[in-house]
Amino acid sequence: MQKTPLYKKHQSLNAKIVDFNGWALPVQFDGIVQEHLHTRTAASMFDCSHMGEYRFKGADAIERFGREVISDPSKIPVGRCRYGAVLNESGGILDDLITFRMSEDELYVVTNAGPIESVTERFCADNQGAEHVSYETAKIDIQGPSSRNHLLSAGFEAAQSLKYFNSVWTTWRGHEILLSRTGYTGELGYELFMANELAEEVWDVFHGMDGILPAGLGARDTLRTEVGYALSGQDFDETVTPLEAGMDSFVAWNTDFVGKGALEAQRDRGGFQRFVPVRTGSRRAPRHGFEIKSDGEAVGVVTSGTFGPSVGEGVGLARLDEKYASPDVVLTTGPKDIRLEVAETPIYKEGSCRVKI
Amino acid sequence: MRKENPEAVSTFPEDLRYTKDHEWVRLDGGVYTVGITSHATEQLGDVTYVEMPEVGAEFGVGDEVGTVESVKAASDVYAPVGGQVTEVNGELEDAPERVNESPFEAGWFFKLDASALADFDALMNAGAYETFVQGLDH
Repeated sequence: MQKTPLYKKHQSLNAKIVDFNGWALPVQFDGIVQEHLHTRTAASMFDCSHMGEYRFKGADAIERFGREVISDPSKIPVGRCRYGAVLNESGGILDDLITFRMSEDELYVVTNAGPIESVTERFCADNQGAEHVSYETAKIDIQGPSSRNHLLSAGFEAAQSLKYFNSVWTTWRGHEILLSRTGYTGELGYELFMANELAEEVWDVFHGMDGILPAGLGARDTLRTEVGYALSGQDFDETVTPLEAGMDSFVAWNTDFVGKGALEAQRDRGGFQRFVPVRTGSRRAPRHGFEIKSDGEAVGVVTSGTFGPSVGEGVGLARLDEKYASPDVVLTTGPKDIRLEVAETPIYKEGSCRVKI
Repeated sequence: MRKENPEAVSTFPEDLRYTKDHEWVRLDGGVYTVGITSHATEQLGDVTYVEMPEVGAEFGVGDEVGTVESVKAASDVYAPVGGQVTEVNGELEDAPERVNESPFEAGWFFKLDASALADFDALMNAGAYETFVQGLDH
């Protein structure tokens, strides 16, 4: 297993370590529920150094990148971030990603650990000006309603005015760090991208503060599920298209990109499954892979499921036949036919991520 | 994949008997009390739901009697001994975290009438269970 630059920190904290896409990462430190609730009420720090990062420099590199993704990066205002995905020729999702427009002629792109080799092939093979920087880049997420205070205490002054889904290069103790107001929890939060060598120093600065605690992949998963964020490789893979993964509004139909033909055909044909949040109304949780039924007939599948600590019930994400994919439709799922209701998104509505500053 | 933490390895209570499914049984006053072990709760993480059997239901040894769910997983619960359910721990309905806090006391699951003494005698004692747990591939 690959180790992040923070592996020794996790070991010294007695974290429970798991294999996540070939990376040894902490699934929990003191307990998933506790870490989840602490993120919703205070702030947590997450090691996300396993994720993929790319830099694109120059107008040509940006244009070539644009042909690989469903979004139109040339339309992202400088300083803003936009969600997107890279598809195969059949319209299936190789990975999802976030594109940061750092300047007129520079993009910074964040992807996932699982499909990194095939994504790198797509982004960098024929693209001078494209640079794959995952293996020299560490990422620490600071997430929670008090995260801004911690950023300011640590000397990240840019956090004072950074708006939701914006990012900026900052200089911290003489080092370049990319600071973005993004995250995977539904709370006010930041992602910090830095050189591997800097990771322990940044980690220690935050870990030494009162009110912030380390959190693992387990809490990251329950937090994102409660607010309806998909997980690459779990909620979708190469057999699922953006239309079946709830990404309709992120498709730039007026641009040309790999997989567009198949996607247009599916859009025009209709009748595809829809991606929806679901809830059980009880403490029972739906689980990944559970079949969903209506009157005994299979109508969809649970793609993510867990107990939602902030909502106190089982929550998840699912792909459902179109006619059932509306809020309040009641279905059943799993070997014990537990009740499952289609929910509005997000299920947890109190998140602080969009708070105005 | 549990990370070894020497301080977390506890000696299991001597007065209980244990199963390979990480359940424990206490025999007291003609009643079997059943729960899951601290090893099980460490593996499961935060328990979020316990499905209980019906009071009055009868089970043979090894029958599936319920489910315990955590944030990450769901596992079946089996009858470690045969018998009729006399009581279930209603507190777990709203406070399943008791199972993590106190697996051998407040976090008990259900009680059975103690008729199947041969089943009980066949279970592991604390020492045998500890050896069994240590032999598992984490």
